[in-house]
Amino acid sequence: MKMQKALPSIIKIAKYTITDEVRQRSFAVMFIVCAVFIFLVRGCYHGNYVVNGQDVEAGKIVQMVSTMTFHVIAIGVMFLAALLSMRVFRRDRDDGTQSCILSKPITRWQYVAGKILGLWALLIIFMFVLHGIVFIMASINLNVFLPEYLMASLLCSLNLLFVIVTVLLLSLMMPDIAAFLCVTGIGIVGVVADGIYAVSHSPMVQAVIQQPGPQQDFTFWKVIYYLWPKLSGAQHFASSFIGGSGLSNLGSLYPLINVLLYCVILGALLFWRFKSEDIV
Amino acid sequence: MIELNAATKRYGSLAAVDNVSFSVKAGESFALLGPNGAGKTTIVKMLLDFTRPSSGSLLLNGLSSTDAASRAAVGYLAENHHIPPYLSGWQYLERCAQLLDINPSAVPEQCRRIVDLIGMQGREHTKTGTYSKGMIQRFGLGAALMGNPKLLILDEPTSGLDPIGIREIRQLLESLKKQGITIFLNSHLLSEVEKICDNAAIINNGRLLVKDTISSLIKDGDSLEDVFVRLVKG
Repeated sequence: MKMQKALPSIIKIAKYTITDEVRQRSFAVMFIVCAVFIFLVRGCYHGNYVVNGQDVEAGKIVQMVSTMTFHVIAIGVMFLAALLSMRVFRRDRDDGTQSCILSKPITRWQYVAGKILGLWALLIIFMFVLHGIVFIMASINLNVFLPEYLMASLLCSLNLLFVIVTVLLLSLMMPDIAAFLCVTGIGIVGVVADGIYAVSHSPMVQAVIQQPGPQQDFTFWKVIYYLWPKLSGAQHFASSFIGGSGLSNLGSLYPLINVLLYCVILGALLFWRFKSEDIV
Repeated sequence: MIELNAATKRYGSLAAVDNVSFSVKAGESFALLGPNGAGKTTIVKMLLDFTRPSSGSLLLNGLSSTDAASRAAVGYLAENHHIPPYLSGWQYLERCAQLLDINPSAVPEQCRRIVDLIGMQGREHTKTGTYSKGMIQRFGLGAALMGNPKLLILDEPTSGLDPIGIREIRQLLESLKKQGITIFLNSHLLSEVEKICDNAAIINNGRLLVKDTISSLIKDGDSLEDVFVRLVKG
């Protein structure tokens, strides 16, 4: 009942957030640049690819290029999410939106929830449209349909929620640019850690590790690795659906659960922190 | 309508508001006076739950100020009012109406009424980025009047206005007072306060110096300015 009463205000604030962001000229420019980039990728679908003297199937090329583009778009939109989120509270404070909303019978959690919902919805649409362009290009040019591409895009939206919530929380405690850099750092460390993990599990490195001699204890680093936000893991899990490998075992769901738990914990911290924030 | 019980706000060792108690009844027009940094805006912020008191309590419409429902039927104008520059005055008023859950079919009519009331006919559809400070202040006041509030909390409502604008706002506030709307005013313009308000409180360094009717404060033939200077300078 309480939620039913709160929902219209949250939706209104989300709507204002979306329209305010879309009104910014920089947002339109970013969208056009991204769309042009995606159209440029179109050239990669054509032409003959030869590996070890053998022609590669067109379908494989489409899948490979589409997967690569999927990752580029997902990472790009995560950067955009951090850029947009880092200035949301400051801009609302400076242009009087925050005091205008909170002087009405609207609670702080409704305001924060509206902001998160608005940003998340906008960025999901942004990413979905870009992924949709790739999907349509592949479908029209080569008659290869990848419906799982769009599902992967939606799965990746969990990463966007993580970025939005984390940047909003950090922007309450540090300068906006520092909040942006922190979240970028979290993402980069995650990618590097995944790379090291993959290399350390390669047969060659395993053979070296199992040689007699003093063994090093990596338990601490393993714990850190598993607890670190699995943004790249969640993205890889989502992209694994492209081409149909998908859910191989329940363990492959871990990155999604990890990111989801972070969203819940950091979201709770954000609501708690904003409750005690002074409104200027 | 408004009640402060030993309200205190501390920033570290500094007491911005120190053990202040007073009340404002429904239909009253009340002025909170004090020099810069006296704690007037902090009291307004505590009333609207923009900042939490370190101790004491504040009631608005009979409810704790921390309860969002206490802000129903309250109009607020900030000292340095800002409006997103990409919105027109009309769009801004529409947003305020929507946030107050005014029936969508009644929103254009309400906005038109407010625009007429603040005297901004013909400028309502231009972007607020092109407005002067006085025009923004007028739209801020218009937003505060949206939804027919029972209580108006105005922090320096005439800030940035020219003498004609000040006079128009004063006349508007006088007509609102006649309609029975409670007015809580923070202002430096003591001559305006004298004309609009029935009661006043003077604070300095976060402490309440006096709270009385305007007529009692100026009973010895002094102007409100004389009383204010005498009390503040100790």
